[in-house]
Amino acid sequence: MDEKILSKFFDRDDGHKLEVYEDHGGYDAARKAAEMSREEIVNEVKASNLRGRGGAGFPAGVKWSFIPQETEEDKYLVVNADEGEPGTFKDRQIMQRDPHQLIEGCIITAMALDLRYCYIYIRGELKFTEDIIQDAIEECYDKGYLGEDIFGTDQDLDIYTHISAGAYICGEETGMIEGLEGKPGKPRIKPPFPAIVGVFDAPTLVNNVESIACVPPVINRGAEWFANLGVEKNGGPKLYGLSGPIKNPGVYEAPSGITVRELLESPEYGGGMKEGKELKAYIPGGSSCAVLTPDELDREMSFEAMREVGSNLGTGCVTFVDQDTCMVRLAARLAHFYHHESCGQCTPCRDGTGWSAKVLDAIEAGRGRHEDLDLLEDMTGQIEHSTICALGPSLTFVVHSYLDKFPEEFEAHIEQGECPFPSWSLDDTKPAAAE
Amino acid sequence: MPKVTINNEEIEVDDGTTVMEAAAQLGYDIPHFCYHPALSIPANCRMCLVEVEDNPDLQPSCHMPVNDGMEVHTESERVVKARKSVLEFILVNHPVDCPICDQAGECKLQDYYMAYDAQESRLRTEKVDGVKVYPLGPEVVYDGERCILCTRCVRFCEEITETDELTTAQRGDHTEIRTFPGQELDNNYSMCTVDICPVGALTARDFRFKCRVWLMNTTDSVCTGCSQGCNIHLDHFRNEVQRYRPRYNPDVNDYWMCDPGRYTYKEVHQDRLEDPMVGDNVVNWHAATQAYVSTMDEALDTFEPSERAMVLSPQVSCEGLHQARRFADEVLETDRLYMGGKPGGESDDLLMNADKNPNRRGIEYVFGGLEAVDSFESLVDAMEAGEIRVLHMMNKHIPTTDDALRARFVDAVADLDLFVLQAMHRGEMVFPPDHRGDFPAADLDDPTLVELADIALPSSSHAEQDGTFVNEDGIAQPFSQSFKPLYNSQPDWQIFGRLGDEMGHSLSYRRLADLREEMFGDAEDDAKPKTLDDKQSKSRAPADAATQPTPAE
Ligand SMILES: Cc1cc2nc3c(=O)[nH]c(=O)nc-3n(C[C@H](O)[C@H](O)[C@H](O)COP(=O)(O)O)c2cc1C
Ligand code: SF4
Ligand code: SF4
Ligand code: FES
Repeated sequence: MDEKILSKFFDRDDGHKLEVYEDHGGYDAARKAAEMSREEIVNEVKASNLRGRGGAGFPAGVKWSFIPQETEEDKYLVVNADEGEPGTFKDRQIMQRDPHQLIEGCIITAMALDLRYCYIYIRGELKFTEDIIQDAIEECYDKGYLGEDIFGTDQDLDIYTHISAGAYICGEETGMIEGLEGKPGKPRIKPPFPAIVGVFDAPTLVNNVESIACVPPVINRGAEWFANLGVEKNGGPKLYGLSGPIKNPGVYEAPSGITVRELLESPEYGGGMKEGKELKAYIPGGSSCAVLTPDELDREMSFEAMREVGSNLGTGCVTFVDQDTCMVRLAARLAHFYHHESCGQCTPCRDGTGWSAKVLDAIEAGRGRHEDLDLLEDMTGQIEHSTICALGPSLTFVVHSYLDKFPEEFEAHIEQGECPFPSWSLDDTKPAAAE
Repeated sequence: MPKVTINNEEIEVDDGTTVMEAAAQLGYDIPHFCYHPALSIPANCRMCLVEVEDNPDLQPSCHMPVNDGMEVHTESERVVKARKSVLEFILVNHPVDCPICDQAGECKLQDYYMAYDAQESRLRTEKVDGVKVYPLGPEVVYDGERCILCTRCVRFCEEITETDELTTAQRGDHTEIRTFPGQELDNNYSMCTVDICPVGALTARDFRFKCRVWLMNTTDSVCTGCSQGCNIHLDHFRNEVQRYRPRYNPDVNDYWMCDPGRYTYKEVHQDRLEDPMVGDNVVNWHAATQAYVSTMDEALDTFEPSERAMVLSPQVSCEGLHQARRFADEVLETDRLYMGGKPGGESDDLLMNADKNPNRRGIEYVFGGLEAVDSFESLVDAMEAGEIRVLHMMNKHIPTTDDALRARFVDAVADLDLFVLQAMHRGEMVFPPDHRGDFPAADLDDPTLVELADIALPSSSHAEQDGTFVNEDGIAQPFSQSFKPLYNSQPDWQIFGRLGDEMGHSLSYRRLADLREEMFGDAEDDAKPKTLDDKQSKSRAPADAATQPTPAE
């Protein structure tokens, strides 16, 4: 993309400073929003086609409109900065390099919905970003951008950072709310949704870092401009994290709805597969999305297009998989992840994730039987519609899609009694430069 | 009021009714582990999933409120399959050690497995190891491998006792129940967690490995630990009480009972006075009755009615007290009546009362108030003043913790001309028992009341007879006989009948029912315990007969 909106400071060392941010028009959007009515701001966000960037893709403006306005109690904004989805590493760039864009987003969101307090819930492993964000918050307090009657409105807003004790499940919005309240991250049953009963039982808006960071550009330049940057129902620019054996792994800003092929092949982005590597599969938006094959390379990166083929846009961070990767091992690895991260409330997720990991291990080790494939399909199928949160069902998508797309690899393991792929060692993960 | 269709049958229910409750009203018993009618609803076990039309996900019926027009299927193929799967998932890491599990035979997991799963195992993977014997506190032992993590025990300590000892620790299939650091599961109701644990993960130290549950018989009874009168299942095997379990009664104890009360079953078997005694000699009932008749006849001739007295026991059933009243009236011809029983003890806000006697209100009922019954202290005073020469005492309990008063009483007993003790216990062990219900042996420097008695008559416990206790709130609660009288004991109502008959009065009844009719039937209405009639039938069939059927525990 020619003009960088979300990533304009990503290659600068001083982009996190208020001074630099303001030199580039920072906090103009907040000033503009201060002149707008609450309704106007919400309508602008609705019209922008901004979709939640945390994985589920829920239209942001619609979610905003669920926050009750007629209540007396203090309402909360919780920014989901728990970025833990395997293969996903985009939010941290905003947190580290452009925290003011996030804070300005929080300010506008708070103005729009009368949110009194904001928590930025930071993944434990990203603790280094806390200092950066905290410094930025201090700068704002000094300027009067935070605190009482911000930007001449009667809105009060205080922002706090909160470091997660560290668990993938605390990225799930209600697990996160439990975590904020100082309890183990065990997701709540929905409904009620956080918009009605959230943190400390008050109405709470939960949005992803990138979703909130998109708000200032929407207000600054208008919903129409933002929507037109993307495709139908998926507005705006988007951060894509590209990983795998490609020439230029990293985080790139590109329009919503760009094709996977362009992301992979364009020299502006991924630059194609590494020398000698051939694309076998890709996971469009973090490990919880069903795996797709190269014949789907021309798919648009939009929620609708990905759902058409049974996958998901997720976080928009694509993992590319090459021909030397064993899909059984990959599936087993992911199953271990979900097993490790299951909070353990729901029986199907608690015991089903571990069971599938063990069955996949057995197949990978050459101890599998043909019945195991039916067992996996059937058993993980029983997790999908029967749990409190979406962690358990993610495993269903993983196992079903790998079984469905790569049955021959599973069969080969069972028939040969061993894994037909080269063994894997830590050395393979070292960057090329080290060789 | 919303209308819901469950398995094609329509029913109108109150607002806020859950699908599980609505289904129960139609007679569908939806299987469940984590749901308990007295606790909050975490909907974590997923056993109760049902299909709701137009909803792609199965829904936990314990949690989902009924909406108007909702169509629910509780027995569809998808639901049946989901139940099977939940059971299979539970068994992935379950040790299946039923042969050595105390819960076997009363385990929800076993029952549901037989009802809904019972398929050939598809499990070949290794199980996660858990703790096998982990004491959570003095009474309760935890087995992490059997635990299905329903969190009933955790919620009990949060919501019922509000003592918050328990929590889940770790995550995923490594999750186990633990106490918070520095805490023990040591509240007055800790053993209720064992009752509500749907599987064998929590066992009571007292009952572990003691008796297979299918060998036991169960009788509806009432705890004698205090005046609350918690309703219990009295589980017994070969004439021995194995344990008490609380029996649901919303008016008295809900689903609970206290730990000290639970241990009072030991009083049925410890320190029992086994045979009638005349002086130091063990005799049979015939000889004891003859001795009673001859000594009492003489005493009645010698001493004025005002020199004769009787100590009533609030440990004894209304039936026994009714006969005591008649005996005092017609045989001893005295109105010198004194209150006996156990001294007061610990109490709390939930169930446990300070009055450790189950039937003080029964005395009030039978004697038409407590005005006619004098305090124990005044008895001792009267005895010391030489006003009382003949004493017939029910039970060996001395209703005071004041050692000086006890000693004065024992000394005064030694000076009596005739002392008859009609008691369950020998008094060679001390009351109160320790926390585990075991009685420390008494310091036997002093003579026991049995030793001091000219005649000692063994009476039976509540487990050995039918009877009625009136609890602190005036609710009359019948209890049933579990086994025949132990040793050579007899129920108090029969002892009085027998003695009365032999003394030339017509005191005995052929059937308890006749006595009951006389006692309850023609009583003045306002003298009656206020809820006597309706509660009598209710506490026998407590399953919330008055309201809609609710899902089982
Ligand atoms: C297991 C699990 C993990 C999640 N982790 C994250 C996360 O790390 N970051 C995030 O923004 N959303 C995460 N989500 C999605 C959140 O629940 C929530 O939908 C999101 O934060 C809403 O923000 P958005 O509407 O702006 O996307 C996760 C969801 C699940 C089920
Ligand atoms: S689905 Fe898994 S992670 Fe989510 S609440 Fe249930 S057990 Fe916890
Ligand atoms: S110990 Fe029993 S009651 Fe407690 S969570 Fe485990 S299974 Fe449930
Ligand atoms: S989820 Fe309903 S009974 Fe456990």
